[in-house]
Order: sequence, then structure tokens, then C-alpha cells
Amino acid sequence: MEEILKVEGLTKTFRLSRKQQKLEQTAEKVKTAVNNLSFTAYRGEIFGLLGPNGAGKTTTLRMLATLIKPDSGNAFINGHSIINEEDKVRRSIGFLTSELKLEGFFTPDYLFNFFSELYGVDKAERDARKRELFSKFGIDRFAQVKFANLSTGMKQKVSLVISIVHNPDFIIFDEPTNGLDVLTAKVVTDFLEELKAEGKTIILSTHIFSLVEKLCDRVGVIIDGKLIALDTLENLTAEHGLEDTFFALYDKTTGGRL
Amino acid sequence: MKNIFTIIKKEFSRFFKDKRMVVTILLPGLLIYLIYSLMGTFVNDMINGDGNEKYTAYVVQMPEDAQISGTLAFILDIKEYESAEKAKADVENGNLDLLIIFPENLDEVLSGKAGTVPNIGVYYNSSVNSSYQGYLTVVSVLENFKKPLFSVNAGIQADLVGEKEFAGKMLATIMPMIMFALLVSGCVSVAPEAIAGEKERGTMATMLITPIKRWQLALGKILSLTCFALLSGLSSFIGVILSLPKLTAGISGDMAAYYSVGHYFMLFGLIISVVLVIISAFSVMSAFAKSVKEAGTLIAPLMIIVILLGLASMFTTAPALGLYAIPLLGSALAMSAVFTFSITPLAFLLSVLSNLVVAAALVVGLSFMFKSEKIMFNK
Repeated sequence: MEEILKVEGLTKTFRLSRKQQKLEQTAEKVKTAVNNLSFTAYRGEIFGLLGPNGAGKTTTLRMLATLIKPDSGNAFINGHSIINEEDKVRRSIGFLTSELKLEGFFTPDYLFNFFSELYGVDKAERDARKRELFSKFGIDRFAQVKFANLSTGMKQKVSLVISIVHNPDFIIFDEPTNGLDVLTAKVVTDFLEELKAEGKTIILSTHIFSLVEKLCDRVGVIIDGKLIALDTLENLTAEHGLEDTFFALYDKTTGGRL
Repeated sequence: MKNIFTIIKKEFSRFFKDKRMVVTILLPGLLIYLIYSLMGTFVNDMINGDGNEKYTAYVVQMPEDAQISGTLAFILDIKEYESAEKAKADVENGNLDLLIIFPENLDEVLSGKAGTVPNIGVYYNSSVNSSYQGYLTVVSVLENFKKPLFSVNAGIQADLVGEKEFAGKMLATIMPMIMFALLVSGCVSVAPEAIAGEKERGTMATMLITPIKRWQLALGKILSLTCFALLSGLSSFIGVILSLPKLTAGISGDMAAYYSVGHYFMLFGLIISVVLVIISAFSVMSAFAKSVKEAGTLIAPLMIIVILLGLASMFTTAPALGLYAIPLLGSALAMSAVFTFSITPLAFLLSVLSNLVVAAALVVGLSFMFKSEKIMFNK
């Protein structure tokens, strides 16, 4: 199997303000969000990052997407370092997360063209992709409606489509089905499977067990910034269901703290 | 290069397809035109009045001199009173505008017979507008009948300044300040929204994960914002120009014709370079801010400094060449010099170049800020 992502000892700390120290009931000024994280993802698989809120999933993904820099460690996507070769990394990945917003003033059609230009997609290819993706997600009827006026589900679909305007090989989805109704969520999960069938690699971060069980080939469990378990879905769920396995791991790591 | 153009295109569609944004350009010009025109009309009315108004007055011992009595009769509505004391009381309580007491010997003095200097008492009540205006009018009328020992500059055009230089001096005093103020207000209305606004709404991060270089994003933003600020400044400028005839009641007639194409070219160059500096500085401040509101607060002190620099040209005459090399201040001085026809090519180049250097440094600074996760993602 071909390695497409290699994460080596990624660590990220944040300085805590006095207020945050009080909230977290700690005297430490620095919080380690991601602690010496290492794993590998292979071409054509869906790799699940499973963990509770605040475990460090999003921070990890933001480092991989070159939005923030690790304190130490490195990661390589398609052989390009996220630290020294940001441009090459940015060119080869797609990143969907709720933090990245689209300008509400523009229409899906405009946004698709704008981001295609920033990724250097040529016009003919852009129009073909736009037609295909817009009709697949039913965006075509809303292509000329301002983004701000779309429904939550349609907004998520547009965000999803925009995140892959440049047809990347490596796609990071951070909680892609959050806040969606079951119908829209199904459209999204079906699409992830299609992408996998096309040979794309997907990193999927979520706290929804069923989503992991349905989609993922391998799973990494993150708790308190550390990778607690990493295995294929089959191995992880060999004895118990994923949910029970996760709680057992959680209890072992945190002593049952909620 | 293509990416810069993409950003500029996006900023332009964001700006011109949004009705509210277009209003921010047109409104200042319209408001300035309306306010200045109203001010001009109002001031004109105050100066000229309607010409029919007469002041009520009681006159004691009106001189026989036909010129004096004739002129006074023209401006006064003369009332009858039993005594000067009663008239004085009426002036005090506002029922009468003026009490004028001429000395007994005024006619003798006027004909050159008596020697002592006569005194005319003009009693008025400064709290009553018509009384005070009447007092000023009567005194100025009577001043004309005084016999001076000698006169100065009577009947000659003593100020040898040309009409053109006079107009130039006037413009040089006020225009840099007005221009700086207009340009600053143009920049303030666009920079926070386009930088801090995008940051606040999370749309900046979406652009930051694309392969666009940070300096391309910074430059694209600043070039587009410069255009918007120039347009807004232009709208204000047109407002000023259109209202000027009403404001100065005809003085400004053909002022514009005194200047050559070269002068206008230099003025335009100065304005563009000034806007580039202001927009870049405001953009850097906006990038520090977490919200549009905070950006406004951060920009406020900077705004005051820029306007003060525009004022500085009022107090500097014949500045040393080195002063032109100070960004913004040099441009205010250079604008002044353009209006007084004393600009030299070297001074012009120095002031424009100093602005461009600072603007370029600020663009580089902004690119680094776009790279910094502390600045872009700290909540």
C-alpha cells in the first residue's frame, strides 16, 4: 500500500489566558492540544479520526491543512512537508471544516469560479466539474442564489463542493455531517464512498460512531491530544462494538473522567 | 499575477454588486454638497439681508448736515420720544433699537468753526440682534463722515499680488487639509470591512488554505481598496467643487483654469500615493483586529495623525527639500506647493516615492500578518 500521509510526532500547544486557566481548573499556562501524534494513511482509504470534543482532532487537521504550524514534528502529504512546502500541500488537498466560511454575498456559481481560479483550474475543466458536482448535489437550481440565503443543508453541500473544486487526491473532512438532516447526511456519506471508489484518500474526523463504522477502513482514536489506538475497523471491533471499545479506551485513559 | 487579479475581481464584484457599499461612495459627496450649499446660502443671507429692514431709533439733535441726516433717515425708522431717558429705557428693554445723541456743536465742527472733538453717543442693547446690527451699521456710516488727518492707501490697488497667486495661496492653505480628510474618510469606510470583516466572518481562512501566496492576497486587497477609497474621495471632491460657487459666492470662478495639465497630473499622483499609504496602514490595523468594530477603534488614532499631517502644510512655508521625503507630510507640503505653483519635480518625486516605499513595506507587513496564525486565528 502506498503511503500518502505520514504524520511524525506532531505536537501543538496553546497558551492559556487567565480566564481559560480558571475554566479548565488548571494552573498550567500552556495546554497541549496535540501530543506527539504519529500515524500513516494509505492511498485510497478512508481514515477515521475518532475522539470527543476538545481531543485535538480539529487542531490536527488544521495543521495538516497548513492553517497553523506544529510546535514540533512534521507531516508529509504526497511527500510534501506541511512546514516547508505549504504551497504544494495546499494544492494537493481539499479541506472541509465548519470554521472555513464562504462569503454570504456571493452565489454558489461565483464562489465555484473564484476558488477554481485560486487553485488554477482551467476554464473548460472547471465548467465540466461545476456542471457535474452541481447536478449531483442539486445545487444547480440554487446556483444563482446568494450563499447567505441558502438552507443549512444546501450551504453544507456548496461548502463541500467548493472544497474540492481542484479535484484533490487527498481530502480532509472535519465533521462533515454535523447539523445536517438524515437525507442530506446520506448524500454526503454516499459521496465520500464515491470519492473513495475514485481512489481518493479521505481523512474523516468525527465523534459519530455510526459514521466511522459505515465508512472508515482504519481508525485512530484521539483522547487528550494523544493517539490511544490505531487499527483497522475490523480489528478494533473484533470483540465489542465500536462504541464499547471507545468507552473502554476512554475509561482506561482518563480514569472515567467526563 | 493572475491571483492578484482574481482577488481584485472578487473585491470589485463584492463592492459594486452591493448597493450599500455603493452608497458609502456616493453619500459623502452628496452630503458635502448639501451641507456646503446650505451653509453658503445661509451665510449669504446673513451678509446681504433683504435690504428693506430699518432700525428703530430716537435721535437727539439731528445735525443739519444734509448728508448725515439723509443717510441716517435711509437706514433708520426714527421714532419720537419725550426724553432721551425714556428712549434709553426702551433700548434697554428691547422696544427700541437705538438712541443716538449728537453733540450740539457738530454742525460747527463739520464746517470747521469749532475746535473741540465732538462725541456722538450711540446707545444700543447687544442682547437684541436688531439693536446690535443697527449699532454696527450706524457706527460704520458715521465713520465715513470722520475727517482723518491723513489717509493710507486711499484709492490705490496696494496689494500687488496677482489674482492667480492670490487664489493659489488660498487653495494651498485649505486644500491639503480638506483632501487628506476626504481621503481618510474614504479609506475608513472600506478597509475594516474588507480585512477585519473577512477575518471575523471566517472567509479569510477559506482563502488562506488555497495555494495563493500571502503577498498576492495582501496586494490584491490593497489595490482594490485603494480604488474604492479613491472613488469615495472623488465623490467627496466633486461635492466640494460643486458646492464651492455657492460657498464662496463667485470667488472661485475660474480658479481651476490657473493650473496646467502637469499640475493636475502631479496632484493626482500625490493623491494616489497618499491613499496607498493610508489604506495599507488601515489594512494592517484591521488585520490585527478581531472584528470590524475593533478595527474602527484601532484605526481612530491613526486617522487623527493623518489629518493633522494634512494640517501641517498650513504652518509651513518654503519647506526644506528633506521634508518632502517624509511620507504623508511631504505629500501635504507638495500639494500646497502645487497650488502655489512652486512645486519642483524633485520635491514631487521625493514625496511620491517616500509614500510608495512606506506602502510597499506595509504590504509586506500585511503578508506576514496573513501568515501568522496568532494574528489570523486567535479568537
